[in-house]
This record gives sequence, C-alpha cells and structure tokens, in this order.
Amino acid sequence: MSTYRVAAKGRIDQSRPVHFTFNGERFEGRKGDTLASALLANGVHLVGRSFKYHRPRGILSAGSEEPNALVGVSRGVGRSEPNTRATVLEVFEGLNTVSQNHWPSLKRDVGTINDAFYMLFSAGFYYKTFMWPKSFWNKVYEPFIRGAAGLGKSPSVPDPDTYASRYAHCDVLVVGSGPAGLAAALEAGRSGAKIILVDEQAELGGSLLSEPAAGINGQPAWQWLETAADELAASKNVTVLTRTTAIGYYHENFLGLCQRVTDHLETLPEGAPRERMWRVRARQVVLAQGSIEKPLVFDGNDRPGVMLAGSARTFLNRYGVKVGNRAVVVTSHDSAWLAAINLAEAGVKVSAIIDIRASVPYHLVDLAKAHGIEVLTGWTVTGTSGRLRVSSVRVNPVTAGGKVGRARNIACDTLLMCGGWTPSVHLFSHTKGKLDWNEERQMFLPGAPTEETRCAGAGNGVFGLLDALKEGAFAGASAATDAGFKAKAGDYQIEGEIACTGISVKELPTDRNSSSAKAFVDFQNDVTAKDIRLAVREGFQSIEHIKRYTTTGMATDQGKTSNINGLAIASDAVRRPTPAVGLTTFRPPYTPTTFGAFAGYTRGSLFEVTRKTAIDGWAEQNGAVFEPVSLWRRAWYFPERGEDMHQSVARECKATRQSLGIFDASTLGKIEIVGPDAAEFINRMYTNAWSKLAPGRLRYGLLLGEDGFIRDDGVIGRLSTDRFHVTTTTGGAARVLATMEDYLQTEWPDLKVWLTSTTEQWAVIALNGPNARQLIEPLVEGIDLSNQAFPHMSVAEGNICGVPTRLFRVSFTGELGFEINVPSRYGRAVWEALYEAGRQYDITPYGTEAMHVMRAEKGYIIVGQDTDGTLTPDDAGLGWAIGKAKPDFVGKRSLTRSDMLKADRKQLVGLMTRDPKTVLEEGAHIVADPNQPVPMKMIGHVTSSYWSEALGRSIALAVIEGGRAREGQTVHVPMPGKTHQAEITGMVFFDPENERLNA
Amino acid sequence: MLQQYRPLDGSRIAVPDSVLGIEMADDCTRFNLRIAGTGIAPAGKVFGVTLPKVIGQTAASGDKLALCLGPDEWQLMAPLDERDRIEAAFAALYAKVPHSLVDISHREVGIVVEGSAAAVALCSACPLDLDEMPVGAATRTIFDKAQIVLIRQGRDSFRIEVWQSFADHVWGILQAAGREITLEI
Repeated sequence: MSTYRVAAKGRIDQSRPVHFTFNGERFEGRKGDTLASALLANGVHLVGRSFKYHRPRGILSAGSEEPNALVGVSRGVGRSEPNTRATVLEVFEGLNTVSQNHWPSLKRDVGTINDAFYMLFSAGFYYKTFMWPKSFWNKVYEPFIRGAAGLGKSPSVPDPDTYASRYAHCDVLVVGSGPAGLAAALEAGRSGAKIILVDEQAELGGSLLSEPAAGINGQPAWQWLETAADELAASKNVTVLTRTTAIGYYHENFLGLCQRVTDHLETLPEGAPRERMWRVRARQVVLAQGSIEKPLVFDGNDRPGVMLAGSARTFLNRYGVKVGNRAVVVTSHDSAWLAAINLAEAGVKVSAIIDIRASVPYHLVDLAKAHGIEVLTGWTVTGTSGRLRVSSVRVNPVTAGGKVGRARNIACDTLLMCGGWTPSVHLFSHTKGKLDWNEERQMFLPGAPTEETRCAGAGNGVFGLLDALKEGAFAGASAATDAGFKAKAGDYQIEGEIACTGISVKELPTDRNSSSAKAFVDFQNDVTAKDIRLAVREGFQSIEHIKRYTTTGMATDQGKTSNINGLAIASDAVRRPTPAVGLTTFRPPYTPTTFGAFAGYTRGSLFEVTRKTAIDGWAEQNGAVFEPVSLWRRAWYFPERGEDMHQSVARECKATRQSLGIFDASTLGKIEIVGPDAAEFINRMYTNAWSKLAPGRLRYGLLLGEDGFIRDDGVIGRLSTDRFHVTTTTGGAARVLATMEDYLQTEWPDLKVWLTSTTEQWAVIALNGPNARQLIEPLVEGIDLSNQAFPHMSVAEGNICGVPTRLFRVSFTGELGFEINVPSRYGRAVWEALYEAGRQYDITPYGTEAMHVMRAEKGYIIVGQDTDGTLTPDDAGLGWAIGKAKPDFVGKRSLTRSDMLKADRKQLVGLMTRDPKTVLEEGAHIVADPNQPVPMKMIGHVTSSYWSEALGRSIALAVIEGGRAREGQTVHVPMPGKTHQAEITGMVFFDPENERLNA
Repeated sequence: MLQQYRPLDGSRIAVPDSVLGIEMADDCTRFNLRIAGTGIAPAGKVFGVTLPKVIGQTAASGDKLALCLGPDEWQLMAPLDERDRIEAAFAALYAKVPHSLVDISHREVGIVVEGSAAAVALCSACPLDLDEMPVGAATRTIFDKAQIVLIRQGRDSFRIEVWQSFADHVWGILQAAGREITLEI
C-alpha cells in the first residue's frame, strides 16, 4: 500500500486490511492499527488545526497523552464524538473520521489569520484585547470568542447508545500493564489474591509493545509478554480489563475504571452497552502508569512531522509504520538515540541526531555513526520550515558559554524530539499523595502515600526494564501480602538493556529573537514559552495563576505533555526552584470520559425511580394525566373526551360534592408505631395531645422541627392502646420516619416503641361525597358505619369486598369521606369493585388537582405548598393543634421565642379577588399599596389558587404579614398585564359549619 | 377473595445454560419484628425459628425464614397460610414481652436471581462485595437507588426483597445487566 509500512515489523495483522475514511478520503490500514498509525502508514501527518492560531498540526505522540491529533468520529445518527485522540482510536472497516477546527478545509483554513495576528492572542488575551470599547463586549467580542472557542462539534441529537455500570471488589488492583504492572499482577495473582489488572490500551504490554528487542528471563520480550498474558488469562482469580482507563482514584481505595466495550467493533451487537463504568474497591493498589515523553520547546516544534521520538519508535515497532523517510532527531535524552537507530535499521534515512548535551555516552555515538547518522552534540534547534509538513530543520552549535553559533539547515520529512520522560503520577496525585521534587532528575516522584497504594516502574521514576520488572514484582507481592496473602517477588534477568540518561531543559537556546518564536509548550491550548514568560513579567508567580492566565495545561489532555515544560520555564522566569513555583493539581478523570459512562443506566426510563401505586394501571387505562409527586407519579386529573384540565377538574369536583368521588391516596406515607410507649412517643413528636385519644379514633397531627416551623402533617389513628397508624405527606414519608428514628435512637432510647414503614403495605382508596356511606355499607363487614357508631375521625378494622381493611372515616374534601386501607395487592381489585358498585351514584375518579381544589375550599393546608419551612402552627392558623398542657414536644421551646410571637409575622389567610373570574398566579407577590414607588414593599405571596366550581368563583390562600388582623382589607396582586385587587378573608370558603363532613 | 395485583407478574429474564434466570418469587407472609434482648428467645419460639442474633445472619426452619437486619430488627418470612397463626401467637406474647410485629407482606415483592452469573448481574447496581457474602446471609443494602434486602439462598441463588413500587426500577436494571450477560460483553 505505501512506502511507510514495514512488512516485517509490528504487532498489527498485516494480512488483514481495514478501510476507513478521513475527511472523506478512503484509506487502508491494518487490523490492530490506531487511526494515527494507519494515517502515518499512508504518509498523512496533517490531521488538524490548533485551537487558537489554527496552525496545522500533526500527530505528536502514540498514546493517550496526545494533545494534537484530535478528530471527530461518526458512526451514524447520534453516534458522533468530537476530540477523539487518533492515537487511541482503533480502526475498523468503515470507520469515518474528520479533522477539526478549520474552515473551509484542513489544508486551507481561514482561521490561520489568527496565527498572523498572534500578538493579539498572547497570554490573557481575553482580558486585554477585548476590553475596549466597552460597548463591543456584548455585541462583538463575546459572540466572536464563543464562536471561536471550543474544540470540535458537540453532538446535536440524543445518544442512541446505552452505558453500563458494575461494582467490583478485589484484593489488589493493578493499574497499567507495562513491565512493572505485569510483574505486579503476576506475583499478586500467584498468591491467590483476587486481582484486577487494568490497561487503557487494546492489549497488555505497555512499553513492552514497543520493545521487541529486549529479552526477559531468557525469552524475547514479546514471547515473555504472551506467556504472562496467558498465565493471567488462565488464573480464575485475575480479571484483566483492557481498553479500560482508570480515570480516578477516590477515597478509601475506590477507583473508577471506564471500559470501552464496543467502540472498536466493526458492527455493534444489538443492545450492547458502549462503555461500562467499573466502581472498584481495592484492598491494595499498585500504580504502574508508566511515563510520558516530554517534547522539546523550540520555534516551530508544532509543525506536522515533528513528533516524539519514543512515539516514532512505537509506531515502528508496534504498528510497523515508518513515520517518515528522512528523519532528524533532536534530544536531551539517550532514549531518542535508540529510536534513531531503530529507524535507521528499518531503512529510514536518519540525517542527524542533534543532542543539546555537550557529551553523550560513547557507545551511543559509536552506534549512531555506525548507522551513518551525523552526530551534533552540544547543538540546538532554532526553527523548522515547511507549510503543512516539516521539510527542514534549522540547527546551530552552542558554545560552552551558551553562545549560539551559525545556523545550518538539514532537510527532513520528520523531526523526532525527546526532552526526557515524566513519570505519570496522576492517579497517585488524585489521592492527595504528596509529590516529591527530585532536583537532580528534574521530576516529581510519588512521595508518602495516603492510601493503601504503591507506585512501581516508570511511574515511580524507575525507567530501566530490569528495575521496573523487579519493582513491579515487589510491589505486587507486597500488596498481596498486605491484603493477607502469601507472596514473594520472583527474580528477573534481562538481556540487551541499555540504561538511558538525560537532562531536562527549558526552551532551547536560539540565535533569533525569542519574543517572536513560536515555541509551543501546550500544543492543545496553543501556549508558547513566550506566553509563560509574559505571564511572569506581568506579575504571576504561582503556577496555579500562570496556568489560569495562560491556559497552559488546561485543555482536555490536562497538560500531560506540557505541565513539566511549562513549570521549568516558569521556574526559570521567576528565578525560583521548581517546587516553590508548585505543580498544578491533577484531577479526575485521567483522560476525557463520556457523560454516558458516568450516567451508566441512569437514563430514559431508568433515569429516576418512578414509583407507581397498585391502582396506577387502572388510572392509566382510564386516561389519567399524571404528575410527579416526589418519586411517585400520581393521577393528576381524568379528562373525558375533549376536556381540558380546567373542565376536567371542575367536573371531578362537582361530581364529588354532588354525589361521589373516588381517589387513589395510596402514596400517603404510613408509619406503624407500636409499643407500650407509643402514645408517649407521639406526644413528644407531634404538637397535639395524644394520651386521651381513644382507640378507634383519629386525630390530625402536626409535626414541627426543633425550630418550631411546620415540617409535616397527617392523620393519626389509634388502633389499640399500643398501636398507632400514622399517616404523613406523600413527599415527607421517608423524611418523617428518619426523623422519628433519629429522635428515638439518640434522644429517647429508653422508650419502648418501634417504627415500621407501612406506606406500601396499604393501598388507600379515598371515597368522598354524600353517597360514600351508601356505597360501602353493603360491601363492609364487621364495622357499624352509622354516624353514631362511626363518626367523623374514626378508624376500625374489618373487611371490605372480602379483604381485610383499616377503614378511616376522614375527609380531605369537606364531604362525608372514607379512606379505605387494604393490603396493596388487593388495591386495584377493591378499587374496581367500588367503581363498579358506584356506577349507580355516578362515581367519578378524581385526581390530585381536584383534591387540591376541594381541600383549599375547606382551608386545609398542604405542607410544602402553603408552608415553606418558615411558618409556625399559629402562622398557619393551626394554633388549635397545639397541646398546650403538654410539657414538651419537638419545637415547643422555639414557639415562645420573641420573634415567633410578633404580630406582623406572615400568616396564612384566604384571598377573594375583586373579579371572581380572576384566578391569581400561585407565587404572585402581594402589596398593600399599588401606587408606591418601585421597588414596592411585598407583604406576602399567594400560596394556593384555584377556580372553585362549588363557589362559582376563584379562591386563593396567601401568606400576608399580620394577615389575620387585616381581614376585610383589600390588597393588590401585580401580575403580568394587570394588578388585581383582592380581599383578605378567612381560610374556609366552603361549608364552614362542617355539616357535610359530619353527615 | 378478589384477584391480587402483582407488579411484574409473569415477567422473566433468562440467559440460556443456567447462566442467569430472574423471576418474581411467590407471595409469602412477611412481618417486621422489633424486639429487645430478652424477648428474642421467646419470640423465636413463637415464630418457630430460633432467631439469629448476628446482623446479616438468617435462620430457617421448614419453610419459615428469619433474617436479622438490625440490632433489634428481624424480617420473618413464612407461607401465606401461617399469617394469622403467627400474628395471634405474637399478640399473646405481647403482654409479657412488649414488641412490634407489623405485617409487611404486601409492602415487598421478592425477585429471585439465579445462575452462574447471578452475582455479576447484581453487581451492576449493588455495591456489596458478594464474594464476602456467605450462603445464608441477608442484609439490607441498595440496588441503584432502591433500598433492598438481599438474601443469599445458595452459591448462585439470591433473592431481592424490595418495596413493590421500586420493583420496576430494579427489574429494568436487571434486564440491562441480563442483556450484557447474554452478549458476554
């Protein structure tokens, strides 16, 4: 296919061609390629435009640290993803990819104009360039910046994929399957401990995948790798997760692992999740994350074709791809020499190795010369040229005194750079583990851990293959030991290892004006060395401030390739040692992670629990419109043909008041309180007096917080001396039970009383209306329903329709009413039986809205609608519900605070609009004088407001300062278009004598 | 008696070769029993099972099962026709040993999760370490956002007890987990 594929090299399947497109052009790759390796095999380096200057960019690296080669991937409607790193994207037949950040095309992008005006875009350019004229901000600057900002295009239609989650526990979690991680997993696995080995790549091996030449324990590296992988696969106690990124390390050895399940597959299995988030709790953790190669900072270091030397080696050895035909290497580290020699052996013409160091180990120099490579030690690189691809590199000698000599140009089609290697300490840093600065090696290394964790290998600054294997084996064995297993680290022998050394440098010396150099530190956010120096000149001293001012390290790669270079330059500029400048904090996730992976199953119907009552199905079949009430869905109203909500609710109310309405009240919270001290406990919790409530009777109960404000209410029935059936609001059920348990366990553990939630034990059918008794009388056994034997506020146990019931005579509508509690599974059948039998009375199902209207007509409050956590019982007109003789109850003391007794407290009152047809808006503010200057003084607001069919007019409840004393006064309610007048009234609008209730 | 309504009645999740089978359990009598120290032994006698005293343990006798869920809390499970007898027997005990016995038979539904992949299916939304859960253990825990009681009936057999209005949600996640297990993905 191309001259860049090396047939005899790599781990890809050379016999399996795979076709994909990039910007509409069809390319051929090989099974096992990443998009990056496949493009390079086709000689394509230019893959995108940079964020700020729209400079042409190529592939910098071969791994997840890639800052440049971000592409958009599309596999059908909804399945598009921006900013996918070409270096980790596995190609498959039919893969479609596009480059980003350009218009009209990748090769001709008008945004490049930003590059010419680079001086406008220096550090802090947002704050400087767009300051004046001030009026331009809203209309010109902000829209422009918004339009230009952001990488790639976000998807515009819902994601059709599903995502999965899984919890897991293990004795030892090993992150990274390079030499250290593999050795750790092997030793820990042999101990019998439960192991999870996780690696972000498609196959195990890490850096070994780029090192076929080494020998481990007498085997060639890849053969050893295969043996190790086989051993792990065969161990039942070892779970190997590839294509899985450990994205975050949280408290108590809890890690998040994001597994890419189907992205690499050519066809998506029906119903398969795209990704799975593993939430792992590990007894011990071994972090073997490896290291990331540092770029060198020099003018033109971002030109396509300029890439990391180690990555070029990976492309060659792992993917069988030459990154170019004519290479120049620039380095401050031995490892790039190995890359140069590898490439030369594969037939690449390596023209020169430029080493910043004046002296380099002789054996490397000899080796390079033997391959015909020109060696320029003590030289620097001062520029590159080429429009969309590097074509030559400008190099200069540097004298011992630091003087940069005359330049010469060397032609090349790829420039490989290496500034040394940075241990990847991200996950260790997530744990708040301290990082120690090693001055000699110029790197941060993991310090004392805060979790049960160990670092091993290059991620711990141990770069040699032998040392990494040994440290990994030791870490794995000791982790297993600490997890309670017997383990011992085995020994390793290595053949062919070359120890690498190097130095760390800031931006390379140049003979040109450094203030016009485009020497990039952060490729993804287009931050240059000059930007960092400028930030320091403008007074920024801490790396945290420099980072935010210049945006270095703030892109989606979180500065994996740029942080240390940026820090070195900042440290030089402020003339303080690196640790004094500081290192920015690494935060999860380690690499960009989809929202879908975090959401997991939590979408669509599983987004939130939807609780349904036993009667819900009937309501659905009978056309109910539902509304959510806490986690429940409740029938809101039951529209008949052609009715809107208003008509439906009016009809439901009218039918209930005239004859009979049926209502599903199953969602009411219920708590059974049992024990010799049950009455005493309820006395202490609720404001009312309970001791004298006789068995068989009900009472309205009011629950306050310690602050004296209303928290919940409900009707409580005494079934026997020691057994109470407590009801709560629908939304308050769980909270009330928890509050009660809290008091019981912490304040009054001496009380002999126990609480059990029975919310779902009972289905509750509320029957209201003048014909309610007639309907149930023939269906009830064992209870005398006469008004004398079973008056309003009574409870009795018996049977209805043949099933056991706790029958409450209670009303939330003001009509003769019953609440029929039956064991849940019978709820629907009893409902249907009542509905059938009720046809003779034109029984009408009503929903929560009609219930709200009818209770408001009677002035019954709804906690949470008419109260807002700042109303006392007296404020709500419920002073009568306080047992004044009781020594104490929750909230009692607060009720006597002077603030609670003020006459101008907001009090709940009724409101009647001057125009009876006007229904006020709930939440509308209330003023005393509409002609006062703005801002007006608000004296209250409307809490409930409805059209009352029974009264033929609107009604409302409101809280108003000193409201009760203002009864009869007119207030004003500003609403859109008009300010309405209303009269303050009492709260009971309908049947104030309760004649209907007691019928 | 009237027809009873059961959420998810007849629903089933199955992965062939006994890898995974999930279905609704038959109805049973359930009581929440709350009782203090010295009452435990007599309460066990009345129920017919010696009540376990360690939280997380269960004890069975015949077709009756007692789960110790808290320091003074047990869930008692028995055949449907035992309900009235148990209630009457505890009522007789009350005067001497005060306690709370509350019928929660209809509050809960049982979901049986069986097969070699049962634990994996549960791990999709239950954060417990099931390898550490011995056969015969029971515990109150969570499954996604639902509170459940999880009982390990056998190495590859679990039972979820969940409030009926949460059962749909639990089932939906088990279905998703079942699809993953079917696809071996």
